[in-house]
Amino acid sequence: MATLTEAPPPLSPTAPAKTPPRRRGRLVPYWLLLPGILWLLVFFALPMIYQASTSVQTGSLEEGYEVTWHFATYWDALSEYYPQFLRSVLYAGSATVLCLILGYPLAYLIAFRAGRWRNLIMILVIAPFFTSFLIRTLAWKTILADGGPVVGALNTLHVLDVTSWLGMTSGDRVLATPLAVVCGLTYNFLPFMILPLYSSLERIDGRLHEAAGDLYAKPITTFRKVTFPLSMPGVVSGTLLTFIPAAGDYVNADLLGSADTRMVGNVIQTQFLRILDYPTAAALSFILMAAILVMVTVYIRKSGTEDLV
Amino acid sequence: MALVNWLRRNLVVIAGLLTLGYLLLPNIIVTVFSFNEPRGRFNYEWQQFSADAWKDPCGVSDLCGSLSVSLRIAFWATLGATALGTMIAFALVRYRFRARGAINSLIFLPMAMPEVVMAASLLTLFLNMGAQLGFWTILIAHVMFCLSFVVTAVKARVMSMDPRLEQAAQDLYAGPFQTFIRVTLPIAAPGIAAGALLAFALSFDDFIITNFNAGSTVTFPMFVWGSAQRGTPVQINVIGTAMFLVAVLFVLASMVIGNRRTKQKA
Amino acid sequence: MTNDTSGDVRLSGISKAYGSFTAVHPLDLTVPQGSFFALLGASGCGKTTTLRMIAGLEEPSAGTVFLGDQEVTRLPPYKRPVNTVFQSYALFPHLDIFENVAFGLRRRGIKSVKKQVEEMLDLVQLGEQARKKPHQLSGGQQQRVAVARALINHPKVLLLDEPLGALDLKLRRQMQLELKRIQTEVGITFVHVTHDQEEAMTMADTVAVMNAGRVEQLGSPADLYENPRTTFVANFLGTSNLIEADVDSRSGDEIVLKAGGGKLVLPEARCSAPTTTGGKVLVGVRPEKISLTHAHDAGEIPAGRNRITGKIADSRFIGVSTQYVVDSPVCPDFEVYAQNIDRDTRLVPGADVVLHWNPAHTFGLDATQSLLAGTVGSVGIEEEAAV
Repeated sequence: MATLTEAPPPLSPTAPAKTPPRRRGRLVPYWLLLPGILWLLVFFALPMIYQASTSVQTGSLEEGYEVTWHFATYWDALSEYYPQFLRSVLYAGSATVLCLILGYPLAYLIAFRAGRWRNLIMILVIAPFFTSFLIRTLAWKTILADGGPVVGALNTLHVLDVTSWLGMTSGDRVLATPLAVVCGLTYNFLPFMILPLYSSLERIDGRLHEAAGDLYAKPITTFRKVTFPLSMPGVVSGTLLTFIPAAGDYVNADLLGSADTRMVGNVIQTQFLRILDYPTAAALSFILMAAILVMVTVYIRKSGTEDLV
Repeated sequence: MALVNWLRRNLVVIAGLLTLGYLLLPNIIVTVFSFNEPRGRFNYEWQQFSADAWKDPCGVSDLCGSLSVSLRIAFWATLGATALGTMIAFALVRYRFRARGAINSLIFLPMAMPEVVMAASLLTLFLNMGAQLGFWTILIAHVMFCLSFVVTAVKARVMSMDPRLEQAAQDLYAGPFQTFIRVTLPIAAPGIAAGALLAFALSFDDFIITNFNAGSTVTFPMFVWGSAQRGTPVQINVIGTAMFLVAVLFVLASMVIGNRRTKQKA
Repeated sequence: MTNDTSGDVRLSGISKAYGSFTAVHPLDLTVPQGSFFALLGASGCGKTTTLRMIAGLEEPSAGTVFLGDQEVTRLPPYKRPVNTVFQSYALFPHLDIFENVAFGLRRRGIKSVKKQVEEMLDLVQLGEQARKKPHQLSGGQQQRVAVARALINHPKVLLLDEPLGALDLKLRRQMQLELKRIQTEVGITFVHVTHDQEEAMTMADTVAVMNAGRVEQLGSPADLYENPRTTFVANFLGTSNLIEADVDSRSGDEIVLKAGGGKLVLPEARCSAPTTTGGKVLVGVRPEKISLTHAHDAGEIPAGRNRITGKIADSRFIGVSTQYVVDSPVCPDFEVYAQNIDRDTRLVPGADVVLHWNPAHTFGLDATQSLLAGTVGSVGIEEEAAV
């Protein structure tokens, strides 16, 4: 606990930016960084190393584990659970695209059209956070209940026929299908898309719209050539903030899905907490981490916004 | 024709409001079902109106206990993450030092990591160290993943702060400590408050990392998770609705007070 | 002025380097007690760095800073008896005007500040605004708060870092007079950093023109204007016409020069460069010193004046005067400002003219320098023009 409540060290934390700190000041940044960075090293970085080591161990709970560089665990894990991996990418990807499509108009509305309602709408976007997301996810069980109004409407509009054909639903059910899981993921991570989108849209000078209009751009052209490119930082960080947690999520798949919608998060959770097969769980987790890091790096490079951090 | 034009002009508004409806629909359901009197163990179907749960929110065993655990953890995690994160943010903005890139990555990575990966690896560490899972391991984990978000929030604020303000304070006979207390801290306060609020929300609502590292301790989200398997009491909805209302009222009140203040001054 | 030297600022051998970049080359400078001193130069010339070293916000790489007899080189800013009016004011946004002004007194442990603060606010005519926040004031009002916040501490030296840069032209003129009035009233040494030559000349007793980390020339505004010693000063302060000429001969204390076939006379005392017969020298003359006569009337020009022939390329009527650009063989854009007293209607673009002036108004500069140093568009001046 001592480290938790530790006050900032009694050294000058305020020497101005450009002034080289006077004599003893040289160590100040290191003192400021020390507790927090140590915390991250011990409880974030070190566990990653432990996990990497666990993934190449063999043994059993009773006899204990030993590092045997047993890389076959990776191969076994991948060949057994690749459907769950694919599902994770597919569901998280769909949810991210849906979040972008649904979130952009709302972010745009808050940034440019809400006027004096801006603060109220902002509050309504953020406030649901305070009702536990598990409770809100459970509410989708009611909304998407079999024979309920939503399913009935989708049925009448023949939407379910299309989704069935796509393999997203089966019969006239929505619950316990991929559609329900994607719907839950989209819902849960939508604010993480809206907030970064809003903050980059908000920075755009409203006069740019007028300037574009003045220069013979139709509203749709203005959006395509001015607004959207300028909101790219928000799009990039929004998609990352949506995709990453969605890919690792297991709550939506568990509460709204079925055995056929299990994602990689579900597998890791079961292996770790129920089956207690630590090497397999660690290998799966390691693969997920590596895959996400590679995707994130490639994505950030491609979209040319490297100063996200 | 007029209608078509109106629709075209307000397409964004309509789409945005539909999304807002999508975001708020579950909260409406949660609120409505807090007045339900379900027949079976699960509160997913509407039966009949009853305010019983509101009269006795702690009527389910362990529910309020888990709520108190969550609040305590959120409080300490917020305090810890805010203190450590603020220090890091100041160091990053105000000083030059070695290994800056590595430190930036170390702060960014927890935000770019699926929760389940952090949860599983942290559990591996605790198992290897033979740590007793419970309140303390949850707290450690929460400080860890809240830290980066606090750093980001505070950093943004400190970066937009004119360094000349602190120089002006020094020029006006304030020593380093006085400068920090009288000028730096008050001006950075909104950023620190935003970071703290975010940390509190993240910690209070966290399930995945907590679930892995809780041992036999039960937080409020874990209680909800457990009841999703065994049977959902109406009281869960009562608590959820109450939290939502408290949050909205809190923000509205602070806005009204803020408005009144600026009006008085003007 | 008294013989009190407690408000002197003495810099000796002071310099500042950031890595391999030298912001200020070793510099010796004395600002006497009670004077209004201006450091003038383009952005990046080292003037603000010099000011910040006096304030203690920047530690010099070498050299010493004295205030009166006290050495303050290593003292942190909060222990120095100097106060600063910052660029864009740096008023504390979370404190009201009263608390901003009281800040320095309170930090020095003075309890009853009310009377002093109110007097100070009255001095800058802001008594009514005491309980407003800085963002509720106009730019000019904020500027006066910044001055009050510094002056209330009775510093030995008041440092002003581009204090008027954020104001519009009219307000800036008004504040120039206001600051000058306050300085005369309180008698404190003012050191004022600016890139605006007009501002420096109207306000200061002494101006130091800085360029690339060095003081190019130091003197009274009139002295700097009439006797520039480098092309930078000649071009940066007002406008100069510079002609490259060969040294032909000497007669008494005058140097006779050849330029484009004609002869020019330069008083030796007004030449800052060494001159040897056959060598080169830059001849300068200010545009308002020149008279313009139509070529047909060339015979009426009195003898003994320096003359140059040319053709009017452009003329701009600006009320009090008309500004001509004359294309002459020795200098392609010769600037001439003529008072609008009796306007000669023949003086229109295309007309052949003779330019002539009293040789006493000629100054000579070292010919090894760039003719364009200090003009708009040359290195370092560009950004300033854009601001």
